[in-house]
Amino acid sequence: MSTPIASFVVLSGILFAIGTAGVLVRRNALVIFMSVELQLNAVNLALVAFSRMHNELDGQILAFFSMVVAAAEVVVGLAIIVSVYRRRRTADVDAVSELRW
Amino acid sequence: MIDLVWLVPALPLAGAVVTLFAGKRLGKTAGWLASALVACAFVVATGVLLDLVALPAEDRTRVVHLFDWIRVRIFAANVDLLVDPLSVTMILVVTGVGTLIHVYAIGYMEGDPRFGRFFAYLNLFVSFMLLLVLADNYLLLYVGWEGVGLCSYLLIGFWFERPAAASAAKKAFVTTRIGDTAMLVGIALIFVRFGTLDFGSVLHGAGPVLAPVIPEGTATAISLLLLAGAIGKSAQVPLHVWLPDAMEGPTPVSALIHAATMVTAGVYLVVRSHVLFEASEVALVVVLIVGLVTALYAGISAIGQDDIKRVLAYSTISQVGFMFFAAGMKAYAAAIFLLVTHAFYKALMFLSAGAVMHGLADEADLKRMGGLRRAMPVTATAFSIGALALAGVPPFAGFFSKDQIVAEASRSQGVGVWALALVAAFLSALYIARLVFLAFAGERRSATEPHESPPVMIVPLGLLAVGAALSGAALGLTVDGGLARFLEPVVGAVLGAPGGLSEAALAIVSVVLALSAVAFAWIVWGSGKVDWLALRAGPWNSLQRFMNRGMYVDDAYAAVVEKPGKAAGRGLRTFDERVLDGAVNGLGALVRSLAAAGRRIQTGVVRSYAAAFLLGAVAILVYVGVRL
Repeated sequence: MSTPIASFVVLSGILFAIGTAGVLVRRNALVIFMSVELQLNAVNLALVAFSRMHNELDGQILAFFSMVVAAAEVVVGLAIIVSVYRRRRTADVDAVSELRW
Repeated sequence: MIDLVWLVPALPLAGAVVTLFAGKRLGKTAGWLASALVACAFVVATGVLLDLVALPAEDRTRVVHLFDWIRVRIFAANVDLLVDPLSVTMILVVTGVGTLIHVYAIGYMEGDPRFGRFFAYLNLFVSFMLLLVLADNYLLLYVGWEGVGLCSYLLIGFWFERPAAASAAKKAFVTTRIGDTAMLVGIALIFVRFGTLDFGSVLHGAGPVLAPVIPEGTATAISLLLLAGAIGKSAQVPLHVWLPDAMEGPTPVSALIHAATMVTAGVYLVVRSHVLFEASEVALVVVLIVGLVTALYAGISAIGQDDIKRVLAYSTISQVGFMFFAAGMKAYAAAIFLLVTHAFYKALMFLSAGAVMHGLADEADLKRMGGLRRAMPVTATAFSIGALALAGVPPFAGFFSKDQIVAEASRSQGVGVWALALVAAFLSALYIARLVFLAFAGERRSATEPHESPPVMIVPLGLLAVGAALSGAALGLTVDGGLARFLEPVVGAVLGAPGGLSEAALAIVSVVLALSAVAFAWIVWGSGKVDWLALRAGPWNSLQRFMNRGMYVDDAYAAVVEKPGKAAGRGLRTFDERVLDGAVNGLGALVRSLAAAGRRIQTGVVRSYAAAFLLGAVAILVYVGVRL
């Protein structure tokens, strides 16, 4: 008795949508970051689900890679956020818009 | 000794190298070293002459092979020196007069900051000039030809701080270049026709005997192209405009290059190549016309000059015109005879003029001279001897040489040409007498106190004066005299064509004309009875200006060549600035404005980037979905 693939895909889609909305509407860098993580994990879920459906491990391996990359990205990203916060006393992304024309 | 002839150009060349690199350290020694080397060259040249004279007359052509120069499949040119009566005559003149001018220059250039370099250039010039006259093929001759042109440029512009000197140098270089280019084409044509450039093969294969070898049209083309080079180098009409301006150079330069040697290179070329000229119907006629027109033109222009050196410059143009005139009548020996005597008396006059300017704090304007015979008697005497020689008063040199030419005109050319030649001779006597009277006679008009020059300048004047006085009688007392017979192996025997007046009658006519010109000049400029300054400010003003401006030839060139040239230059500049630069700059401006619009996208707001990401991703997904 196994859960049908569609449930996983739908759940993954919902999670991704929540993450996307979070990235777009939130202003706190930390929350945006968490939303990005949510998007990544939504994709990981889809990968693992499809991997199981095809009875192959490729998708799961890819999910591991994705996690590793996400971990590295979190390190760099958090460092930037901390350093911006120390300098500006804020983590509002809209307040940091100097990198422009 | 003949085999040592390579020393003749090599010694001055060595001097040029040494004085160029060590001139500063040598100080005044540089001048003496340079003079000594040219003097040594003169000694060697004399030795060559003695050896040559010892040979029988028909055997007096020797080629000294130095080394192979260019050797490709069909073309060969060697560095060979030709020793024959003509080239030996030329090297004796160049080294002899050159030595005296070098010594004089030691005094004249004293205290110049570039003393050593001056002698380096002077030595280099002598070396190239000797190469020019000793070369045994047209290519080597051309090397010398361009070399003297280069030295002429360097020496005219020796005081390049003066804009007039710098532009005169440029003018001389560019003007002669017109002729030189034609000459190079002529040389190329010789190679195409003959397959060689050696004098021996070209000139002894081109005579009337072998006329079928070159069609007459080709002979005419070659001759006229060579003549164009000669016209440029010898400052003949219409390429004469550079020589009066070249007087901006130091006076020893004017004496050596622009009177005694380089400007006569054209005469040498015509005489050397006379076989080619004779193979053509018209070439010699053109030579004759160019020479006669130049002699008349420059004679008239010389009368209107106020600058002492410009008078002498026009005089040189006119005298070289006489030489061309003689060559045009096939009187080659007479042309070379005048070349030799002219080298003496014109160098003498230039150096005397230099002594005058030296004694007057560089004043060259005849209007501000006068009465100098008292302050500088030696210079005045020396100049007068040169002037008498030029005017053709016996027994001075010019009488013999010019008389030969006028007599030849009377014999072979008919009354009209003869009369014109007499007019030109009359003009020569007139302008030079005017110069003498204005500078040395009458009352002093100068502001500064004149003084005589130092011995190092006076001694060369004396030696040249001896040459100017005696060389004519020594070299050509009879029509078939010394120099003419000596040159016979090269230029052929003097044709004793019958006709015309007798020798004595011709001589009397010439002398009477010369003396009447002197008398006329005395009345107008010497006696003090005619107020010539008032006359030329008043009724004679336009004539004076006409002569002073050299019949407006320079102005005509300015209108016909310079102005359109400058207008075209301005037009091209506008085209370059507006159209070419405009296109490039416009492209740049376009990119900039596009970029200015494009960079607005980069807002710095992270969330808008994220939104753009999303939109992009959705767009790609939609695209992929539609494709599937």
